[in-house]
Amino acid sequence: MPRLELVAQLKGHNDRVWQVAWSPNGNMLATCSGDKTVRIWANTSHSDTSKWDCVDVLDGAHKRTIRSVAWAPNGKELATASFDSTTGVWEYEERDKEWECVATLEGHENETKSVAWSANGSLLATCSRDKSVWIWEVEADNDFECLSVLQEHSQDVKMVAWHPHEEVLASASYDDTIKIWREDDDDWYCSDTLQGHTSTIWAIDFDKTGEQIVSASDDTTMRFWKQYKPNNPEGVATPGNAPKWKNICTISGQHERCIYSVSWSKVHGRVASASGDNHIKVFTEESSAQAVNAPTWNISASVSDAHGVSDINSVSWFPTEKHSDWLASGGDDGLVNIWRYIDDDV
Amino acid sequence: MAFSSALVLTDLNDYISPSQACIKPVEVQKKENAEETSIKVNEAGTYYEVSMDGTEEKLESASISLNDCLACSGCITSAESVLISMQSQEELYKILKSNAEAQESGRLDDIITVVISMSPQSRASIAAKYGISPMQAHRKLTQFFKHTLGAHYFFDTSFSRDFSLVESAREFVDRYRNYMANGGQQIEAARQEQEEKEQGEEAGAGKVKQRRRRGRGADGDATSAPTSQDMPMLASACPGWICYAEKTHGFILPHISASKSPQQIMGSVVKDFFANQLGLRPNQLYHISVMPCYDKKLEASRPDFFDEQYQTRDVDCVLTTIEVDKMFSEQNVDFPSLPEAPLDELFNKVSQSPTTQQPTLYGSSGSSSGGYLEYILAYAARELFGVNDISSNVQVQTAKNVDFTEYTLKSDDGKAVLRFASAYGFRNIQNVVRKIKNNKCTYHFVEVMACPGGCINGGGQLPMTDSGDTNVSAKDWISHVENIYRSIEGIRPEDNEAVRALYRYGMSCDFILGITSLNQPIFLCHLSEWIGDVTSERAKKLLRTQYHAVTQNLANPLATVW
Repeated sequence: MPRLELVAQLKGHNDRVWQVAWSPNGNMLATCSGDKTVRIWANTSHSDTSKWDCVDVLDGAHKRTIRSVAWAPNGKELATASFDSTTGVWEYEERDKEWECVATLEGHENETKSVAWSANGSLLATCSRDKSVWIWEVEADNDFECLSVLQEHSQDVKMVAWHPHEEVLASASYDDTIKIWREDDDDWYCSDTLQGHTSTIWAIDFDKTGEQIVSASDDTTMRFWKQYKPNNPEGVATPGNAPKWKNICTISGQHERCIYSVSWSKVHGRVASASGDNHIKVFTEESSAQAVNAPTWNISASVSDAHGVSDINSVSWFPTEKHSDWLASGGDDGLVNIWRYIDDDV
Repeated sequence: MAFSSALVLTDLNDYISPSQACIKPVEVQKKENAEETSIKVNEAGTYYEVSMDGTEEKLESASISLNDCLACSGCITSAESVLISMQSQEELYKILKSNAEAQESGRLDDIITVVISMSPQSRASIAAKYGISPMQAHRKLTQFFKHTLGAHYFFDTSFSRDFSLVESAREFVDRYRNYMANGGQQIEAARQEQEEKEQGEEAGAGKVKQRRRRGRGADGDATSAPTSQDMPMLASACPGWICYAEKTHGFILPHISASKSPQQIMGSVVKDFFANQLGLRPNQLYHISVMPCYDKKLEASRPDFFDEQYQTRDVDCVLTTIEVDKMFSEQNVDFPSLPEAPLDELFNKVSQSPTTQQPTLYGSSGSSSGGYLEYILAYAARELFGVNDISSNVQVQTAKNVDFTEYTLKSDDGKAVLRFASAYGFRNIQNVVRKIKNNKCTYHFVEVMACPGGCINGGGQLPMTDSGDTNVSAKDWISHVENIYRSIEGIRPEDNEAVRALYRYGMSCDFILGITSLNQPIFLCHLSEWIGDVTSERAKKLLRTQYHAVTQNLANPLATVW
């Protein structure tokens, strides 16, 4: 049976850790916290994977908790979403060898919950307790232009995630739905609403192709959604000529409490989940060509008390081949854990 | 979102953000030597404070007015909509009923004079729904309000809009001159230079429209301007925008045009000038405006438009087009079959058409949001640069989206001398606000409106009629209403005799009386005397207003330290 082994424990945050995010090449891990800072960590030894250092601290820009942190695809910029209602954009200054907050995006009425860069880094999405999703265009000179303010969620929006290649955005909400947003010739619009969860959806992640989404909910289930494009061979109707998303698999009974975070590896395709039941679990899809419309996911590994008795707020798979078996997690205990997924049978 | 919920009244829910609290402080008058008392409630639900010696004193109930709610971003949604409903047709029915009773019992002095002022956008919306012309709609509405309901006058805010346009343009020219005299000259020269440079570069590179990735700009950018509160000037006619700016962007208020909106100028005209003409006190008139927008109710209830002396508002009640349409069915009136009543002669924009010799409705050219941008641009071009016909000197360009359009006035040597823009909808407002905050706004005037598509698409306008034709989209319907609005020819305020009289473009009262083409020379003469000198304090009070940043001074009681 595969297992998760603790490789390193990163101490430094003075308050709960909300999100962990690997830089695009995996050389650095950014973590954000209730202590209003982002810490950048790196494995500073070539031989010892347990030796990690905090190489930078980003502070002073936010007045309240930093709830979310996201790397730009170029790895040189970071965006931070804070409960102070603003979104910060940070740039690494080669000259001074430090991160500088170069722009602050205002507009949300209250707590900003999540921030994400589009695949090519030209767009930034944010969402908030004010129920809205905002799309910003990155312009020259650290300027940002608001392209759209989307107000179709009826409750707090918990997370935004971009399609891995296309300019398509997904958002997850306290209204129990996921919405898919696309751009027509003039504005962004909601092309699909994914219904099925019976409580708040805390997290979503695309697979590497962008054909599927996994969602994690307070209803203790995880759901897999697949998009059916117009004229699909399965004959799924596509109103408005936009892809239709369908729930093709649900994992239930694995977590006893709210699932706060989910990460779908873009390298090996495994899904990791983190829950208020103090467990981190890893799931693997049964390979079968017939099952594309009804896949089966099995539990492969589980670790209990991953952050002691504390809630686990975030998990994230390492982004590249190099250490694709690494999984980072952050919890209410203020700690960041680096895990290794070990499969002795292979 | 931070727009008042009134904008989306049809989409109400009862979600009241738990961390937001009503900031209306309840004033407790502490008495000296307060002794122990008890509170008692009688059958009528009135509260009494009973002191030890048994004397009872009636307690005042705390009242929260619409304006208190405007001053707070605490509870919004349903609570606000309840308050807004106090500005409803029910209030009008009440007045009309008591008028009828007064009439019956011969108490003629108790009759309240009811004045209706209709916006041209509402008229277009009704004309579109019933498939009639704006003139037919205007006459049928006159019939409905005056003869079916018993109102006394039916006016058109196109009349007061001309004053609003002229005031805005005058204000703009003053601001521009002030700006140029205080460093603006250098800023403009630097911008023009920068622009020439950029144009040279673009011509060489060949511009490809795609999403731009970030590039670093030169340090010490010459185009970045020191803060000037004169420029840009932002339009003020949209109450949704004003409400949002006051609640969230106090720094921007000095940029907002101080000229009153057409609704509020009509308010001044009716309650001040017209009441005086009729020999009535302001509170003997009940003034209703019909607007394309729910937020106009908020505007009417601003304390700036309240007359302390007579305890009356310039506009007592605002009804949206939707509410007026609802009144037809409430009154069992088949609107299309109503006769077409003669037009009221005062306070409209009706003239004899030179071609048909028939009384004809006129409006303002430019956008269906009042045409502020177009009028101010033409006026400023004339006043500041001596350009009398701007048609060949203005470059129009759609910017990011259909609701953001840039208008550039070029001088004869090709330099951009005036940069105007229209920015409609929340996303575009964000970018205007952001540009001003970051000192990157190069516009001189922005026609800001909260609704995408502007006022013709206001939240109070009639929705698309369900014709069963699924090929007609909401967008098509809006452009249909817009076309009806535009079927009314625009004439310049300067060519409106009332405006000429008011601003006395070189006209003495004797001169006005001598113009035979005027319908109401004596009336106009009085109108001109009403304001007197347009630069006076009195004129300012009648034609301009001010804005107040709303500061939420109460700490968020539920905001725990996360």
